[in-house]
Amino acid sequence: MRGPPARHPDETREQLPAVEGVIADAAELRPGDRVVYPNQGVCAIVGIEDKDIAGQKLQLVRMRREEDGAAVLVPKGKVPSIGLRRVATGDQIEGVFHYLAAQFDDPELDWKVRHRDNADRLIAGGVLGVAEVVKGLHSLSRIRPLPAKEREQYDNARHLLVHEVAVSLSVPAGLAEDYIDYALMPPDGVKFDLKPPPTPVLLPSRPKKRRPVVEEEGEIGDLGLADLGLGDLDLEGALAGDAPVVPEVLGAEGAEGAEAEGAEGAETAKAPPEDAEAAADDDEDEDELPPPRKSAARAAKAEPAKKEKKAPAKKAEKPAPKKAAPVARADAKKKAAPAKKAEKPEKKPAPKRGGKKK
Amino acid sequence: VIRLVTLEKIDPTDMAFLTRTLFQAFGLGTEFAGDKPVPPEAETKDGRLDAVKLLKEVESIRTFADDKVLYITAAPLALAPGPLGEPPCWGFADYGKDRAVISTSKLPARGVTEASIEAYRRRLAREAIHAVGHLWDLHHCYDARCAMHPSWSPSLPANPEMDLCSFCREKSERKIRLAKT
Repeated sequence: MRGPPARHPDETREQLPAVEGVIADAAELRPGDRVVYPNQGVCAIVGIEDKDIAGQKLQLVRMRREEDGAAVLVPKGKVPSIGLRRVATGDQIEGVFHYLAAQFDDPELDWKVRHRDNADRLIAGGVLGVAEVVKGLHSLSRIRPLPAKEREQYDNARHLLVHEVAVSLSVPAGLAEDYIDYALMPPDGVKFDLKPPPTPVLLPSRPKKRRPVVEEEGEIGDLGLADLGLGDLDLEGALAGDAPVVPEVLGAEGAEGAEAEGAEGAETAKAPPEDAEAAADDDEDEDELPPPRKSAARAAKAEPAKKEKKAPAKKAEKPAPKKAAPVARADAKKKAAPAKKAEKPEKKPAPKRGGKKK
Repeated sequence: VIRLVTLEKIDPTDMAFLTRTLFQAFGLGTEFAGDKPVPPEAETKDGRLDAVKLLKEVESIRTFADDKVLYITAAPLALAPGPLGEPPCWGFADYGKDRAVISTSKLPARGVTEASIEAYRRRLAREAIHAVGHLWDLHHCYDARCAMHPSWSPSLPANPEMDLCSFCREKSERKIRLAKT
């Protein structure tokens, strides 16, 4: 017997033990049989019929949902894989009630994991899986109100459970719901003589996505600078406060970052036209550069030709602060960045104004 | 339309309050449709009424499509015991169908003071909304402030609200809209 369907097409089908009562072959079905279609509810088998659909002759199992009489058609070959199962037996239902009335462990607090697992339980978990969803979300609702999506899921699970219990015990749905809530929320002073609850439903595993590891800021061991051709930069020394070396590419990024913080440094607005042209080139390049404050790994993807363009542009900017105050390189570095900050506000507002006029 | 049928006489002012509250809760016309006798088949040995049998055997009234009928009795109701015993019964509804019954036997005593009468009416209205909610496909709600919360729940406040929570209200409105079409 096959286990629940695999989640990903490339993932090999996991061989989990099939839920009790799962129909492995459509040949087992007879007209009048009552089955449970996962996420749909209790259906009665009407029969098997041949249909010509899109030029293909298909054998379809026709079912009628008992709740509202809706017609459900399933290709005969798909019956083993959709999780169609027989209505829960008396023993299973008893196990469900003992499970519902038992103390519940701490509910899963990660909503993504919880929601995903609950969806799996509803599809592949049998009646106990549905009860687990109801019990789990009910326990969670005592801690905090459920979000809208889970509230919906809780209501759907409850609906499925109520109808299956009603069919299994041959009682009206309203009475089945009273039984369920009597177990879930017993009145004060009522204690049940409970048996050990059945083992929880096994769920198929999901492939774990690895998150990219973000290195701490203090570590500058490998920023991918070697790939950029900047492997010989003395960044550690620069951070330690030694004589600053202004790397061209990093300087451009720094200027962009500074631009984001806001324009400042009015004195540098009087930059020579050469600088302006250089900055214009720089702007064009920056459009294609990765946005500021992104990892060096992404910067490494930039084309090498663009790097070559940037280098002369930055060199053209450097002389301005040197002429103004040949004090120290540290001061020069501080001024170089504001120079770009001041240039950009002059250029950027122009298209914005144009946009407004339109 | 929601039609109210009494199996024992109840005070007309209580009935007026009940019809008004049901109208506010579901947005449907609500009217008193008279008295009917208790069916003898529903009586059990311990003097209670079997709620499921009562709904099957009780005399019907003239209704139209999508009408809901709520029977009100003063006798205590009983339900068949389930896997963990017999749940307490404040009322019973044929889920998604057209008949429900509630009992006033477990409500707080009506008394003679304004406060006690008000408390009685509010609780009666809550049970009526709960039963009619089941007729409109509403399940029990975990929110103790919602009228669809089980009446026996230990988390139910002493004077529970007679309103539906937003989820139950929206769901019932959706169902009613679909039924009207």
